[in-house]
This record gives sequence, structure tokens and C-alpha cells, in this order.
Amino acid sequence: MRSPLLPVLPALAVLALLFYGALALSAARSLGIPPAPGLDFPSLAPWRLVLSDPAVWRSAGLSLWISAVSTALSAMLAFGVAVLIRQAPAGRPVLGFLLRLNLTVPHLVGAAGMLFLWAQSGLAARVALAAGLIDGPAAFPALIWDPWALGIVLVYVWKEAPFIALILLAQSGPADAAREDTARTLGASRLQVIRHVTLPSLLPGLAAASAIVFAFTFGAYEVPLLLGASDPVALPVLAWQRFTDPDLAARPQAMALALLVALLSAAAILVHLGAVRRLRAW
Amino acid sequence: MAPRAALALVLSLLPVLLPALALPPAARADTADGARLIGRPWAEIEAEARGGEVNFFLWGGADSINAYVSDYIGGILKERYGITLNRVPLTDTADAVSIVLTEKEAGNTDRGSVDLIWINGVNFRTMRQGGLVWCGYTSTLPNDALVDWSDPSVARDFGVPVDGCEVPWSGAQMAFAHDSARLAEPPRSIPALIEWVKANPGRFTYPAPPDFNGSAFVRHVFYHAAGGVEGLLGPFDQARFDAVAPRAWAILNGIEPYLWRGGATYPNSIAQLQTLFANGEVDLSFEYNPSQFGVGVENGTFPATVRTFGLTDGTLANTSYTAIPFNSPHKAAAMVVQNLLLSGEAQLHKARPDVWGAPPGIDIDRTAPKLRAAFAALPVHPSVIPAAELAKSALPELQPEWIAAIEKGWIENVGRK
Repeated sequence: MRSPLLPVLPALAVLALLFYGALALSAARSLGIPPAPGLDFPSLAPWRLVLSDPAVWRSAGLSLWISAVSTALSAMLAFGVAVLIRQAPAGRPVLGFLLRLNLTVPHLVGAAGMLFLWAQSGLAARVALAAGLIDGPAAFPALIWDPWALGIVLVYVWKEAPFIALILLAQSGPADAAREDTARTLGASRLQVIRHVTLPSLLPGLAAASAIVFAFTFGAYEVPLLLGASDPVALPVLAWQRFTDPDLAARPQAMALALLVALLSAAAILVHLGAVRRLRAW
Repeated sequence: MAPRAALALVLSLLPVLLPALALPPAARADTADGARLIGRPWAEIEAEARGGEVNFFLWGGADSINAYVSDYIGGILKERYGITLNRVPLTDTADAVSIVLTEKEAGNTDRGSVDLIWINGVNFRTMRQGGLVWCGYTSTLPNDALVDWSDPSVARDFGVPVDGCEVPWSGAQMAFAHDSARLAEPPRSIPALIEWVKANPGRFTYPAPPDFNGSAFVRHVFYHAAGGVEGLLGPFDQARFDAVAPRAWAILNGIEPYLWRGGATYPNSIAQLQTLFANGEVDLSFEYNPSQFGVGVENGTFPATVRTFGLTDGTLANTSYTAIPFNSPHKAAAMVVQNLLLSGEAQLHKARPDVWGAPPGIDIDRTAPKLRAAFAALPVHPSVIPAAELAKSALPELQPEWIAAIEKGWIENVGRK
């Protein structure tokens, strides 16, 4: 009797070995297996140190803020673009091209572009200086290395909004257009069509894509490393700082922090999916 | 199971299995066993190294250094010995230490991926403590005779005895820089700097420790708070640290509101500070390698009016080294590279201001008279203070435990918002 699991086995094997294996190794390292300097036998001390450190919770709060705002803005923008395309299908090729334009640009390059364009001594500031709008770099608004992580959010929204929009567009088909037309002929206004027809049909894709974007922005470290303030730093950056600390005793804490990123991210996504389920019932 | 399904299963597993089955290419001139190289005649070691390759891991944040290693050193190695030099750039030397440590934990004792590291200070101490570095071979290098091991600043790396575990490469001394067109008279001592920062809000900042250069700046303030470096030399003393640290944190917290961005954030690397300085957002900068300002002026990063200067109360000076990890499989080739790096010609080329401008790690008086004359005749870039002048007010480095305590203390008492 052929098990339906058999064709999936190779992919599962790679996943188990590389991903779950690495997860298990990180968990082992975070408990002091094998022993790290200053930690002679397996213990919960690294976890206790990490969970009781106020710096860790401030970093977690910052990461949560960055991910929540980036995901919310990207989802709203993507939904707006999807609605636009649905209502005016003639613009689809142009909008589709614009959406695909920055897919191949890595986040790091986007962050470097942010630095060149929007730093207080960047291109926009120099144009403003030449136009007499500001009288020095300090007068230009601080979008990078600022306490609200504006630059980081901007880069994420710039990259993730087209990503979510493309997923939504791939989801919608002629059946949805037919349903919208039916609703319009029955007398629904534009807004009512969006609220009662478009939103419910796009919600599954929107929820899934938002979860992916949230998990990614929570766990990525290169953009916050480049554009973030020096304190607090995003949680993955804190983990990386502890990992590269010359004091090897900090390494189990770094592993614990990395696992904390995964745990917090998973918890937030569960909450998000639960909320979406309730929204769909509404 | 149907045969077609079986075939599909095997075919889908191939991409996973093949890499595991592929045999590692046999390393040319494999010399993982270092013990038998110690004391051998140099010609034999050169012969064994011929045709090999060396993975040289070093900080990659300066184009001039990268060009010197890849083009000049790499070119000579290829021509003279047929050795391929792979320069691996690092953001932080701790990354290379991390690689060797992970390899040791995995039981890899003779196939390491790191053959040579540019290292000193805390990272060297970590490698020694972990038994990660190869020791005892340095007197086998012919150019070891050019090194003055009786000089304590060479024989001790941040206070840790070298003990034949690494070979000197370059000297370094911290110097400050200002744009003479924007700021005619900069503050020339730590107390003067503190006053200047309060009088000129938003025009100064420093990278947050544990950045190497940022940490060095904090140590200058620490020396000032301690009233001099005398009581701080030697092994770490918790009582002495607890007496001095609060004064240092008070000074740094006192100037924080007058820093760039009101002290709300600090640059996270020296590269970021140099960008701020180049763009005119801050008026002062500093670097362990003042020749970098000359290089920057030449390639247009900084204006030609930039001038570097030392402090009247002294600036930190240290030596940096190259070390071979215990598990390098190309020890003979790595020794040849180290010998070349130590040679008078390579050190002279490195000291040229248009190449790197680094003070030599060898004792110039031990080189041939022709080289000695060439060193004396080296041109001086107008923006770069001559190393000899800077060396008149050199301060010794503290032992790694002090540095770790100062960095941790800064992060908790000053860096935290």
C-alpha cells in the first residue's frame, strides 16, 4: 500500500537534515551542549540570562514594531494595488511590470540605496540644501539610524508590498471579476464591492503573504544592521552581536536569542492567523 | 513499490547525495603537520610550499590594504613560489576566530579553511586560550631576524606574551583628523576635546564599542579619567576598574547630549564615522591607521585640506600580527607568506603613503643599508602626520580583560538609552 508520504520524502529529508537539524543543534548549544567556556555542564543559565535581560526585551519590542508596521503598511498597499488592478484591468501590464521591477533587487542593495538617497547628507538632502530648504545636514529629517526605525520600515515596505501584491494578483481570476460585476449590477457601491466581495476573496492570500512577510522582517538582520540605531538594536542583530563577541561564554546566549527570534515570530504568526480566522467569520 | 516510483525516488535524492559523495580535491602541498616543519632548512620548506594555496583572512574595510595584499603580495607569491593567495575579507577578525573554533569543535584538526589571520589583542587571546593557533615555528622564518623581540610592544600583544605564536606585521597608532578649511584649530588633548564638544554641539561622535576604533577612543577617555595609564597596566584589577570606571562613564554621559544626533545613536562602525566626516556631518574623525586619511584624500573621499594630528596627552599604539591556525593544511605555504610579509622590501612598499602607509612591524635598523636609506627617504603625505612624530607620545595598550570590561561597561552605562 503506497503511502502518500513517499514522494515528499526527499524534500522532507533535506528539510529535516538542514533546517530541523540546525534548529536542534542551536537548541543544544543554547543549553551548553557541548560545554562552552564558563559553562561546565548543560544548564538553563543562558536562557535565564537572556530572558531576564531588559536589553533583550527592548530589542524584541523594536523587532515587533518594525515587523508589525512593515507588514501592515505592505499589506494595505498591496491590497490597494490589487483592488486598483481589479477595477481598471487595462493598467495591469504596466502595474505588473512596476511590481516585478524590484523583485530582483536584494534588501541589502535597497538599504544601501536608502543610505545614498535619504541620509542627512544624502542626495535628497543635498538637493534640499541647494534649493535653500535646509541650511545644513542636521536640519534634514533623520530617516536613518533613528529611534523609530523609519528607514528600515521604508526599505521593507518598498520590497514587500510588491511581493504581497504579486501573490494577490496570482490568486485572483476571472471568477472574481464575474462576482464583482454581479455585485455591481445588484446595486452595490464601489466601497461595498470591496468590503463584501474583493476583501473576502483576497483574504486567504493576504493572510498567508502577511505571515511570510512578518516572519521574514522579524528574523532578518542585514537591513537593521545597516540602517538601525545603536541602541536598542533589532533582536537578530543582538543575537549576531553576542555570537561574534570575543568572549566565547556569550555564544550559548546568542543561540538562545536566535531561538527566541523563531519562537516569538511563530507566536505572533499564530495570533495573526487566529485573528484572520475570526475576521473571515465576521 | 512500483519501479517507476522507485526510480523517481532515487532521482530526486541524487541532488542531495551527490555532493556528499564527491571527494574533496587533494590539496597541493598539504602540510597540516606543523611539528615536522619547525627547524627545517628554509629551502626545503619553500620547496614543499611550491604550488600551494593560502587562505589569508583579514579585515577588508580598506581598499588600499586589499590592493597591497592581493596585488603586490599575491603577485610576488605567484611569480616566485607559484603560491596562490586567496584574500578573504572580514568585517570583524572575530569571524575568522569563530570559523577556527567551530572547526575545532567539529573535530577538524588538519583540514581547516583558514591558513593565515591578521590578528592582535582580544582575538589573539581568544585563539591562545582556545588552543586554536600554531606556535613555536617563528624562529624557522629567515626574516624573523628582522624582528626586535626584545621590544616589549612587539613581544607582548596587548599585554599577552606572543610566545612564538604569531609574527608581527604592522605598527599602528591612533591619530585624529580635522578639515583645516572647516575647523582651523582642533582640540589637541582629551580635556580640550571634551570642552570643544560641549561648545560645538552635534559636531562630534564616535563609533559604539565593541567597534575596534570606537573602543580605542573610549580607552583614551578612560586613561584621562584614571589620571594616566600607569595604574591600569598589568593584569585586570576589579577594584582599580571600579574606582576609575564611574568617572569615565560620567564624562562620556556628560558629553552625550552634545554629540551628533544628540547622542540618540552612535555610528556602528568606523566606516560609518568616516562617511559622516567625509560628508561634513561631523568635524573630527580618528583612526588607528592615519595613513588612511592620505589615501582618502588621494582618491577623493576627503578634501585635500584634511590634516591628521596626535594628542598632547598621547594616543594608543600597538602592533598587529599574522597567525597560523593549528589546523591549517597549508602551513609551509603560510610560513612562506609570513616570511615575505616580514621582508624589508614588502615592509618598505607597505610603508609608502600611496600604498598603505603603515609603520613597519620589523626593526628598520636590522635591514640592509639600501633599504634603511629608502625608509628614511619615504615621501610624507601633507595630510598624514609622520609616524615618527606621532610615536613621541605613544600610550601602551591595556590587557584584553581590561578592554572587555571597558567595552561592557560602556555598553551598559553609556550606550544604553
